[in-house]
Amino acid sequence: MTNRIKEFRARHNLTQDELAKKVNVRRETIVFLEKNKYNPSLKLARDLAKTFSVTIEEIFIFDDEN
Amino acid sequence: MKKPLLIFIVSGLVILSTALWLFTSAGRASSMDIMHFGVIVLVVAFALFLGFRRLSNVKRGEPSEDELSKKILQKTAATSYYISLYIWVFLIYLKDRIEFDTEELLGTGILAMAVTFAISWIVINFRGIRND
Repeated sequence: MTNRIKEFRARHNLTQDELAKKVNVRRETIVFLEKNKYNPSLKLARDLAKTFSVTIEEIFIFDDEN
Repeated sequence: MKKPLLIFIVSGLVILSTALWLFTSAGRASSMDIMHFGVIVLVVAFALFLGFRRLSNVKRGEPSEDELSKKILQKTAATSYYISLYIWVFLIYLKDRIEFDTEELLGTGILAMAVTFAISWIVINFRGIRND
């Protein structure tokens, strides 16, 4: 699974720190997510989607979709 | 905020009791004791590092721990427990072959478990958790 968090974060002019505070996680977790070193829980995926006002499917790309 | 404080209190107590142990055995400390002391210092330094990290997270307005840090801790605990089983088997194997006091064996085993935990945490924290 890959994601487009970095792309959406840039679109919304958010720093990693700001995004972390919005979804109530540590900045390190955002770093891990952007590097595809961690797959988030469903709750965090939903919070990220809400923050960017998109659906979960738009942010996370599953390998079998490629 | 409570957890970092707890880490500092426990670290302080470990340093105090280790220093007390060193002072009371001044001049009689064997090379094994000095090695144990070195490992204890390393483990305490690791605990302090975790405590300061959590404290700086709180100061930045972030949670002291989140789902990733909890998962890393869970995986670290599972991995270090698994490795510890082999460490104990190895130490029991050694006990029958070289001169080893029971206290020394227990101390070495517990310290080895702590070191295994610290190393596992560093490796897992560096590699990340991809649960797919």
